[in-house]
Amino acid sequence: MGAVVMLVIVSMVTFGIFFQLPKLAGQTTDQLAASYVGKAPTAEAIADVKERLGLDDPLAVQYGRFVKGVFTGQDFSNGPSVEHCAAPCLGYSFRTNEPVLPTLLDRAPVTLSLAVGASLIWLVAGVSIGILSALRRGTVFDRMAMATALAGVSLPVYFTGLVSMAVFVYTFRLWPNGVAYSDFTENPGLWAWNLVLPWVTLAFLYAATYARLTRSQMLETLGEDYIRTARAKGLPERTVIGKHALRASLTPIVTIFGLDLGLLLGGAVLTEQTFSLPGLGSLSIHSILSGDLPMVMGVVLLATVFIVFASLIVDILYAVVDPRVRLG
Amino acid sequence: MNKIKIGASLAACAVLAAGLTACGGDSESSGGTTSTAAYNAANTSVLNPSDKQGGELRFAMSSDWDSPDPGDTYYAFSWNFSRYYARTLVTFKNAPGAEGQQLVPDLAEDLGKASNNNKTWTYKLREGVKFSDGSEITAQDVKYAVERSNFTDELQGGPKYFAQYLVDNAGGYKGPYKDKAPAGLKSIKTPDKYTIVFNLNTPFAEFDYLAYMPQTAPVPRAKDNGLNYKKNIVSSGPYQIDSYDVGKSMKLSRNPHWDAATDPVRKALPDTISVALNQEQDDIDNKLMSGALDMDLAAGGVGPAAQPKVLGGTQKANSDAASGSALTYMTIDGRVAPFDNIACRRAVQYAIDKVSVQTSLGGPISGGDIASTVLPPTVVGHEEFNKYPSAGNAGDLAKAKEQLTECGKPNGFATKLTYRADRPKEVAAAESIQQSLGKAGIKVDLKGYPSGDYFTKYAGSPAFLKDNGVGMAMMKWAADWPSGFGFLQQILDGRTIKPTGNTNLSSTDLPKINKLFDRSTKEGDADARSKIYAQIDNLSMENADVVPLTYSVQLLYRPANLTNVVVSEFLGGQYDYVNLGLK
Amino acid sequence: MTAPIEVSKGEAEAHPEDVLKGVGTQAIQGRSLGRIAWLRLKRDRAALGGAVVIALLILLAAFGPFFLQDPNAYHQDLIDPTMQRPKDGFLHSGISWEHWFGVEPTTGRDMLSRIVLGARISLIVAFLATLVSVTIGTVLGVVAGYFGGWVDTVISRAMDVFLAFPLLLFAIALVGVVPDDMLGLRGNGLRVGVLVFVIGFFSWPYIGRIVRGQTLSLREREFVDASRSLGAGHGHVLFKELLPNLLAPIIVYTTLLIPTNILFEAALSFLGVGVIPPMPSWGGMLSLAVPTYQNTPFFMIIPGLAIFVTVMAFNLLGDGLRDALDPRAR
Repeated sequence: MGAVVMLVIVSMVTFGIFFQLPKLAGQTTDQLAASYVGKAPTAEAIADVKERLGLDDPLAVQYGRFVKGVFTGQDFSNGPSVEHCAAPCLGYSFRTNEPVLPTLLDRAPVTLSLAVGASLIWLVAGVSIGILSALRRGTVFDRMAMATALAGVSLPVYFTGLVSMAVFVYTFRLWPNGVAYSDFTENPGLWAWNLVLPWVTLAFLYAATYARLTRSQMLETLGEDYIRTARAKGLPERTVIGKHALRASLTPIVTIFGLDLGLLLGGAVLTEQTFSLPGLGSLSIHSILSGDLPMVMGVVLLATVFIVFASLIVDILYAVVDPRVRLG
Repeated sequence: MNKIKIGASLAACAVLAAGLTACGGDSESSGGTTSTAAYNAANTSVLNPSDKQGGELRFAMSSDWDSPDPGDTYYAFSWNFSRYYARTLVTFKNAPGAEGQQLVPDLAEDLGKASNNNKTWTYKLREGVKFSDGSEITAQDVKYAVERSNFTDELQGGPKYFAQYLVDNAGGYKGPYKDKAPAGLKSIKTPDKYTIVFNLNTPFAEFDYLAYMPQTAPVPRAKDNGLNYKKNIVSSGPYQIDSYDVGKSMKLSRNPHWDAATDPVRKALPDTISVALNQEQDDIDNKLMSGALDMDLAAGGVGPAAQPKVLGGTQKANSDAASGSALTYMTIDGRVAPFDNIACRRAVQYAIDKVSVQTSLGGPISGGDIASTVLPPTVVGHEEFNKYPSAGNAGDLAKAKEQLTECGKPNGFATKLTYRADRPKEVAAAESIQQSLGKAGIKVDLKGYPSGDYFTKYAGSPAFLKDNGVGMAMMKWAADWPSGFGFLQQILDGRTIKPTGNTNLSSTDLPKINKLFDRSTKEGDADARSKIYAQIDNLSMENADVVPLTYSVQLLYRPANLTNVVVSEFLGGQYDYVNLGLK
Repeated sequence: MTAPIEVSKGEAEAHPEDVLKGVGTQAIQGRSLGRIAWLRLKRDRAALGGAVVIALLILLAAFGPFFLQDPNAYHQDLIDPTMQRPKDGFLHSGISWEHWFGVEPTTGRDMLSRIVLGARISLIVAFLATLVSVTIGTVLGVVAGYFGGWVDTVISRAMDVFLAFPLLLFAIALVGVVPDDMLGLRGNGLRVGVLVFVIGFFSWPYIGRIVRGQTLSLREREFVDASRSLGAGHGHVLFKELLPNLLAPIIVYTTLLIPTNILFEAALSFLGVGVIPPMPSWGGMLSLAVPTYQNTPFFMIIPGLAIFVTVMAFNLLGDGLRDALDPRAR
């Protein structure tokens, strides 16, 4: 229920910001329409486009049309004939006249590939380094790991991305033809190979965060009374760490992981821009900069769906991992 | 004689050669050919002439089409590429230099025949030319293509010259999607299957240039599905589109119904053609150099990363610095104080350091040659002159100060300059202008806007410029066809000023210039027209509201295994795609 | 988003701010905390290093531009126009005795003075934006935590909504539609104002949640009850009793929010919605370097390092402060 309310609010706010803000900033609907006319915006063409896109209608009517499209589908004229866009219909791009939803579904696998691959790397690397660091607190390993992690969270991902491209792609020529995205279904090997750099770059940033987080959680848990009790009972260290400490420390990690992944699935904007990956993130930037409102709506809604969905999953996982939690 | 002069001499050639490729530009006698790859070789000759068929020609580009639909596209590369699958009434000649600016008949048997004082233009179609579905192409299909591309609400991508010049129906024609009456636009007549007649509302001597636009490529009414036609285009050329995955790729294979005997223009050498879209420019350049790709479709020149690699090494012999027919310039709005005083405009003309601007735009190779006239050298009507000379083109501060004093602003003044904020080179040029005008005491505020809105809301809105005191605007302009009229009219004719989407950014409205434009449309003699264009150019520079910066040049790369490579000046310095083949 | 998970009292919701867990509860222990913290901080060499770097950066940003060369002056005599890069210097950087960090390709502008001027923009935007978000976050967080009930529900929901939005996209859209003159501001003043607003306004929920959580646990303490039973008004309890006890987590979080905001500003500039040229910003310099970094790597590395060093310094100081203010820190 909360999730649905969330989606409604987000869609309304998005609609308001993108459709109403330009008008508040002093632009007329003629000017709005003119940007979709092409290179020869005659007065008639502008009027026609305005009518076709319904830009003159009040905001509520436009929003209503959008919502109606989502539930019942919508008809669009492509000129000589009328096309039906079946529910859930997110409308047609103002720029390319392509239906929004298929475009999103077309871009989603790229972002999915990026996010899932990178998250696996950072989860494994970040958490294990964090645990090791906590267990060997104060050692050279701990200091080195934490210094690297601190550097990791201080580096912008587009900078590490550019540096890694400069080094591995253009100097060592490990990818002589560049790192363009290749479909998993066409060639899984090439898909993975070409995604290595984006994965590692993105994972580096997050692994750093996770290592720091895991370490501090772990240290805190190790200081708790029940761990001391367990140790005093003479349980082997392996059991104390593996069964008790780890479990308690990992619960917050799970939460954050879910939310991070949810956010990323909506589009890893900077990473996609840096590596020119044709995912949802680069689609969203492109749509915003070109004023393609229906496409912007689509991406934002999809991103929100991911976030809401991720936090739902997190809640469920949380209950599984931490027996103290009851879903309220 | 009431026709384009060069066209007339060529028409004879086309008739004599009927069915052969002699007029296509590959004949040894014209332009010259060479098989030695050298820097700029394809600028002056057809490189690696060959008739060898077969293979796959691989294109790529860093963006997507506006639309591959011939009736809905405005990019020059698209007009070039569309000739693989769309034959127009006439097209340009496959030849280097000025010869490549000539028009030759394509779907029509001859160039247009003018009558009624250049107000009626008649074309006779070749007989027996077929669509890729096997049906014969008729004059009706051409008429329909013009109607859909110029009169419907849906197809807004292309130019609207036909709508502007053709006599409209009484009450206004709403296009074939709304107006289903069989007569359609009454000013296009098709007296028989192979004849099409255009009736214009004004004399227009250069109508053949409209007939070259992809909008005259025939479209069968029954197969037209408007905005979606781009995904199932019915081909009239030697190749048909097997698949077009928007934003990703296109694949073409031979059109079995295309008959070389009906097509004197195209060699149609490769068996298949592929296009990869939205690729990284750096990757495209690297693949071109390594042989993994044959051609950059967008023809914008190699990227900044590849430029030193191409020019600094052995690859240089495989490249051409192609002159485009585009001008990068800055307009000065005479309605905005203090530019209402011509001396203040002239001060700007003198003060700008054009070498610095050229370097900011990419240097002499990709930034272009320093300009002193509105018309680029590759456009008909160009004459060389410089009304505001300075030593080494680096600006003349003394003269600028003189003009400022005359203008009553001896200590300079403040003004604003708009530019497209998402075009790095234009930003750099604007910053460079700000710097050099600053030395003369002219303080420039930079106003960057997104390019998508530049013409609709900002620089292209005369009211916006005036209300916000924006005295200057950055601009780049290329002609839709390489004549003075095609280049100048949209940017200097006072009657083309529009409240939005304006391209006459200086809001130039001089009666003298307007009259000259009118005279040129009635003038049948091409040489005389050419003189008129030069006169307009002169008047404009005298008026000082256009500051020419550079004539565009782009560094094009051609892999060594390509045949029949030639730079076409007609399309502003692109390789002519139709005859490309593989060794 | 979803209903908060009831873990156990005082733990509030488990979320990113867990890094800071325990800070506030411990800060309640007494006035000597400041002293203890200072003693601890003095021993933390990394944090002190961070503090020194920050101090130097602030000095440099404030006074550097008066001593360095004109950051906008062109030196195109140093540029090879055809190759589009500086003629000399290691890796075509243009580094020389006059230009320690080299010069920009094509314009020849001095990189050192541009980096220093860029520091000014970065720090101003980050500080002001942090101020905005900390102010909003603290006020709303305290109010939500203290009053509870529907007030809490509304504010908490609002925070969820904010956190669910793709911030970067909204920021770009907002910056894009701002007119030329607004609220008496124009030019770069307006741009900086908009950046501050966008960054600050969108990141308040992060600190809001922490403050709310801390307030929830404080609300039930004896001294608050005592104060209330003595007839103190809400205002008194909120600002005289609760707020002082929230200072420690707020300070720590503020220090950690500044580097985040520096990165946010850099990202926005990198994506093309920063200050107006020729005013330099680090993100903007990086994005200028993208097309040419294969030929002139220094042009990319220098602004990247500037961001890195600054953010790192703030993170070091923030970590140090957190450890110092947390008595359990080891």
